Amino acid sequence: MEGEQRRLLVRFTGEDIGHGTRIVLPRLSLVLHEGERVALLGQSGAGKSTLLGELRRRLDRRAAWCPQHHGLVPQLAVYHNVFMGRLPEHSALANLWNLVRPLRRPWREVAALCDELGLAGLLRRPVGELSGGQRQRVAIARALYQARPLFLGDEPVASVDPHQALRLLGLIDARHTTSVIALHQRELALTHFDRVWGLRDGRLSIDAPVDRLTLAELDALYPDADAARRGPDALDADIGVPGVDALPCPRGRS
Amino acid sequence: MNDSQPALPPAGWKAWWRGQSPGLRLARHTLGLVALAVLLLPFADLAIHTRDPWGELGRMAAGLAWPAWGALESPFSALGLTVAVALWGTLAGVILGFPLALLFARSRLVRAGCAFLRAIHELFWALLFMQVFGLSALTALAALAIPYAGIFAKVYAEILEQTPPAPRNALPPGSGRLARFVYAELPLAWTQLAAYTRYRFECGLRASVLLGFVGLPTLGFHLETAFREGRYAEAGALLWLFYGLIAGLPWWGHKRLTPLLLVGGAWLLGPWPSVDGALLWRFVSEDIWPAALLAGDWAGLVEWLARIPALGPAIGNTLLLGLLGTVGALAVALALWPLASRHFGNRATRLAGHGLLVLLRSTPELMLAFVFLLLLGPSLLPAWLALALHNGALIAFLVARHADAIAPGMPALPASGRLAYELLPRVYPGLLALLYYRAEVILRETAILGMLGIATLGFYVEEAFDYLMFDVALFLLLVTAALNIAVDALSRRLRPRAVPLDDPCVR
Repeated sequence: MEGEQRRLLVRFTGEDIGHGTRIVLPRLSLVLHEGERVALLGQSGAGKSTLLGELRRRLDRRAAWCPQHHGLVPQLAVYHNVFMGRLPEHSALANLWNLVRPLRRPWREVAALCDELGLAGLLRRPVGELSGGQRQRVAIARALYQARPLFLGDEPVASVDPHQALRLLGLIDARHTTSVIALHQRELALTHFDRVWGLRDGRLSIDAPVDRLTLAELDALYPDADAARRGPDALDADIGVPGVDALPCPRGRS
Repeated sequence: MNDSQPALPPAGWKAWWRGQSPGLRLARHTLGLVALAVLLLPFADLAIHTRDPWGELGRMAAGLAWPAWGALESPFSALGLTVAVALWGTLAGVILGFPLALLFARSRLVRAGCAFLRAIHELFWALLFMQVFGLSALTALAALAIPYAGIFAKVYAEILEQTPPAPRNALPPGSGRLARFVYAELPLAWTQLAAYTRYRFECGLRASVLLGFVGLPTLGFHLETAFREGRYAEAGALLWLFYGLIAGLPWWGHKRLTPLLLVGGAWLLGPWPSVDGALLWRFVSEDIWPAALLAGDWAGLVEWLARIPALGPAIGNTLLLGLLGTVGALAVALALWPLASRHFGNRATRLAGHGLLVLLRSTPELMLAFVFLLLLGPSLLPAWLALALHNGALIAFLVARHADAIAPGMPALPASGRLAYELLPRVYPGLLALLYYRAEVILRETAILGMLGIATLGFYVEEAFDYLMFDVALFLLLVTAALNIAVDALSRRLRPRAVPLDDPCVR
């Protein structure tokens, strides 16, 4: 396979991953190569954030980071939130002064980036006044502004519509050689990524290129989908949980 | 027994009473507190010493109803000084307290030091600084700034600690400590920090008035003089002036006016005293320590300790008054909160209830106690009434606000049912938590009420200062502080858990 020749970025060999003494992913083994675009799937609480956190720790300054729930400062303007992506590159004094009066070069760079993300004209607006989708894009802008070769995102396209999600993933791809992105949209994972890591019950139950996977195999990552597949006799007939495909939007299936 | 009757109520009230539901636990807790207060009540001196309290009350009410505006001498300079001291004292407290807040979580020494600064009331600090700086603005500022630095350090640290960690964690590795603070912590905490500073300024305003009781020429000085000399019409005018000041705070205390007030206030604070360095050093190094301790004479120190007057009864009275005040505040809060809540009464009763609560909680305890003292004579009774009314009204106000945010599930219930079934079970844990927060404040106030002649620790502190026995005064202050810290720790243990009090302005 062509991936074998590529440079190795991270390798886990039977390692226990977790927070302190609480192990979330016991004896995890996986490798990440340069140039791979990995979709990370699994139901809420499966350990996606834990795995991303560990990757972030190992990759340190090589990775740009877009956290779950954005982690923005609602009181600060869009410009300042995006600028935070490059705080370490300026002196403490410059960072302080930038709060009083934006530095000229970063302002131009952030303005150009925000134009691309459809945030033009919002640079001075406090993030707290933006809509959910706009905040999502600010969080992505902050990660892009870090200008790292690698992108780690914890559900960065969770609160935007499917078309926008595609466009944002395209932007991320254009600016990073490698990415690991946690998602809930299984279709996106198959159409837009090279590889899928699927977590279930603390195990990496799927680690394969997308061309060898089907939607049904991805469904196996979600216990709620099992129950629906097993048919009405496995369910409480009175409650009548609808099948996954009956739900109107892909987010509902996760 | 018949099997078809499985759901009998628990047999007898004893079994019922032993239940483990949170409501029952709180009820037992409350009754325990009340029982303790009732048990200790015989030890309190609650006698009425004046001959005609009702006549005196009538004359005071008349003074309040027909204030003598013309009799006031220079009320505006007193008013200006009151505001200037509060503003600059609070600002100095912020400047001292903010750096301490940043160290608060990391240093046990800072935490202990701040607890000590907080535990001594503004008026005691004023008495202490007066020995060095005389009757000057410097004394007033230091008296406010020092304890407020301790309070700001603690509350700011708590607010900063509660900022959500997500923005911090999202920063790229290598962001400096300062950048992290000003980008990802300070903006998140700013609104709360500002709100608390504002609230503290309001407290500072009350404290600044009280500084008049130890002789600084703020509003309180004129108030005390007028009351003592029985010129109630003049006192009434001054009181209305004070209420006007508090009520008008949102307008004259607007953010944009603050710089103007600061500059104008600085003008009013002067003239500054000339501080004699040698005298200051002698005060700090010799006057406030017992001579026997400085000489290393242990037997002499024991003898010195034995000569301190009535320490046991003073501590007993202080604690007793603190307990009675807390239980009284509970009773007052329970009785008054429905008056100001939207769930009860009509427009007129609510307006009256609100008015009463505002009046009671904006009048400083010391002033209330002073008025009751004139009415009833020197015993624990006036102090008890003052503590219960002021703190009870404060808690009632906050509880009413909490209750107003609740939408009852069954709005058609009669008022009594609404109170007992819908609202009280929901607001009571919060009420009790507030009461325990206030218990420490009540004890602190208890000590200073001694300055009015009530035999608590404060009485002996002031006496020691009067007789220039600074070593005894300092010792008694340390005892007071230790008592406060102990009660604070105790009330923190007893206070109902799982009641989030996210509003720091209740402390």
